[in-house]
Order: sequence, then C-alpha cells, then structure tokens
Amino acid sequence: MPQTIYEKYGGFSAISRVVMTFYEMALDSDQIGDYFAEVDMARLIDHQTKFISSLLGGPASFSDERLETVHRALAITHDDFDEMGALLKDALEQHGLSEPDVRATLAAIESKRNVIVHRDAA
Amino acid sequence: MSIAAINEQLLRAVGVGIAVVRASDLGFVFHNQLFAEWFGTPGPDAALTDAIEGLQPDDLGPLCDEGLRYSAELKIKRKRRTLVFAINISQASHLNEALLVVECQNITRIRELESMIDSYSAMVERNTRELEREKERVERLLLNLMPRSVYEEFKTFGVVTPQLYPKVSVVMLDFVNFTDFASRTDPTVTLGELNDIFTAFDRIVEQYGCERIKTIGDAYLAVSGMPEPAPDHATAVAHCATRFLRYLDRRNQSHQHKWQARIGLGTGSAVGSVVGIQKYVYDVFGPAVNLASRLQVFANPMKIVAPDEMKEALSEEFRVTDIGLEDIKGIGEVHLVNVGDELGARQPSGRF
Repeated sequence: MPQTIYEKYGGFSAISRVVMTFYEMALDSDQIGDYFAEVDMARLIDHQTKFISSLLGGPASFSDERLETVHRALAITHDDFDEMGALLKDALEQHGLSEPDVRATLAAIESKRNVIVHRDAA
Repeated sequence: MSIAAINEQLLRAVGVGIAVVRASDLGFVFHNQLFAEWFGTPGPDAALTDAIEGLQPDDLGPLCDEGLRYSAELKIKRKRRTLVFAINISQASHLNEALLVVECQNITRIRELESMIDSYSAMVERNTRELEREKERVERLLLNLMPRSVYEEFKTFGVVTPQLYPKVSVVMLDFVNFTDFASRTDPTVTLGELNDIFTAFDRIVEQYGCERIKTIGDAYLAVSGMPEPAPDHATAVAHCATRFLRYLDRRNQSHQHKWQARIGLGTGSAVGSVVGIQKYVYDVFGPAVNLASRLQVFANPMKIVAPDEMKEALSEEFRVTDIGLEDIKGIGEVHLVNVGDELGARQPSGRF
C-alpha cells in the first residue's frame, strides 16, 4: 500500500501541529477570525486534526452530512473559504510539507467546499 | 552584577508571568514583561484584582490572613482567544512589608493537548474494540471450518500437521432422489430445506460429542473420535444416525417436502488435516470415511448400514440385525449389519 501523506509526516502529532499553527493564524485573521472567537478551541483543534487526518488517509472519518450540519449555521462565504485555504497552505508549508503534498491536501479540502460554504453564499 | 540585579533579570526573563503586589492594597511593586503582555501594563493605582479579571479580592482574603497559598485556573478572553492561566499566589515579605508573589502560567496549549489526548485515546480504544470484535468474528468463522483443537494448532503454528486417528467412527448421510428434487424445485427452496435439516443435524451431532466435518451437496459427514479421542465413538455415530432418521421422520409428518435418507457408518482409522492454504478446509480421509461412504450408497432409504465390526459395540444399545456378506464396490466383501432403533430409548443427556 502506498504511504499516505498522513503517515509520511508522522501521523496525528504532525497534523495537530499544523492545525494549531493554522488556528493561531486564523484567530488573527480579520476575514475569518471571528468565527473562532467564541468556540471551545481545544475541541475545535481536536476535530480539525481528525478532519485533516481523514482527508490525508488517517484513521478517522467524517461524513459530508456531518460537515454540512456543523457549518450550516455559520453562513460561511467563498471568501472565507479562500482565506482558510490560504492560511492552511501557509501552515502546511511552515511545517515542511512538500509542495506536491501541500497541493494534494488543499485539493482534498477544496473537494469539501460545497459542503462547507453556505448554499446561498455568493 | 549584584545578586539582586540577577534576581530581577531572572524574574524578567523567565517564561512565567510574575508580579509582586503589596498585601495591604494589592498595588503593584513589580511585574515582568510577560505579565504585562498577558494582563496589560498595570497603571500606578491599579490593584492586582483590576489587572487579572476573574480574580476577586475575597479570593485573596484567606491568603493574607492565614498564610495559605492561592492556586486557581482562570480563563481570560484576549482578542478572540480564550486563554487559560494557572495562577499561583504566595506570601512573602520585604522590609517588614507583607507582599504577594503572583505567578501566572499560560496553560492554554497544555489544556488543548490534554483534551486532544483524551479524544485520541477514546478513538484508539474504539478502534481496538472494533478490531477485537472483528477478531472474534474471524475466530467464530474458522471454528465453523475446523475443530477447536485444530484451530488452536493452526493459530499457534500457522499450519496443521495431518494427524492419524486410529480409532474413529464415521456417519455419512445422503438424501434419496435429491438430484431429482433439486432439479424440479426452486434452488432457494432446496437450499432452505437443506439448511433447516443440516442445522438440526448439527445440533444432534454436537449433543453426542461428534464433529461435523462437511456437507457436500446433500451429503452430510460427521465423525466421532477425532480430534479428541472418544472410547464410545461407534455408539456415538450410531446415536446420531438414528436421531437423524427420527428427526426426518417427524419433520416429514408436518412439512410439505418429504425427505428420505440413506445412512452408512464406518469405523477404523482416518487422517484429519486442513487442506489448502488460502481456502482452509478441514477434511478427513481414510478407510473409515470410505467405508461409511460406500455403505451409505448400499443402504435402503431410511436405513442405517454398518460394518459387522461395529456390531459388538452397538448391540448393547441398538437393535442390530445381520445383513450378511456383501460385495462393496472398491472395498471388497464385507459382513454388514443393519442398525435399528435404540434399545430402551436412552436419552442423550444420560451420556453427560
């Protein structure tokens, strides 16, 4: 079996570091920072680590239905989603993922765009 | 550099937020950079309780009076972030003035990591439980394919050594006109019938401590005396045989499809082993199996035929009648007996 990106960089511990860096940046972002102002960060980091892990071949799974349910009330726009992608790219690069792996990760996230972005969003 | 200067530098450089306040009015005597970063630079008249929101003057009461150490965990909002601080306050004094030393550690990340560890260990435990269940399922499946002792050997060594069992008895059953029935009936009905009957047979076989080896189409093969030796292997298979027939008899009275079977018994030696590497089949070979198979063909519908050598073992518990010398294909001339009803209809539970 070919090695997944998840395994290649060292599993949960590596992904969780990326996720923590990502949220540090996200909290400072004026575009999307407010989404995270009132949430339980520990839980969010935990979920996000599992989510990213699942996209990269790790042992966790999220259904699209669940993703949609948790994001629906937030009315996330395409601009928000783009900003998130840019910050995540930054975080992935900071943690030394190779360029093709960064691209693969972002493509995996991109595939969830229509689940995460609010349906009525422009 | 004086010790005092070193101490002060140390207090400034250390990765803990530190402040020193007067016990009397909680006014600041000293604070380091980190403390200011977290709680803002205290003004000249600010008290500790102003700087650290969530800290009440009442909390510090007992500390000043009784010299206790105050420890707490405080959550503080800082521009979208909720930070968690561990705060320790202890008493000190300088030049006869009572002071409080306040140490603050940012434990936000530690709390985040702790909750992540909890969540992952829960996930790992869940996965482990699933694996465990899966393992049990596989084990149950394999136990259907081979006897437990053989399975244990297989599990430990990865292979099963073919083993010769010198004294076993075999019961082989086959239905009369099965091919005919199967050809004019819906296959699902045929299968349903077989499933129903064989399940009942399995129960009977288990009751008498025998081992069902396999079914081939409509044929049913079970043994006694392997892999565990059984001194009463001959009577065990005969009991199975008579119960099979009795079950069919009773079933025929209430079911649409009437089944008739021929049964052959055999005794002697047999070899048992797992055949195949990818597709495991536990199978038995040997004279006892061949004999039972041939005699089954020879038997009349709803009759049990056994070789004469089983007569002695069986005659105490069964109505055994001589058939005589018969030429059996592939084996030669054999003295045969017919095994009839159980004498005194002993209950199987009596054996245990």
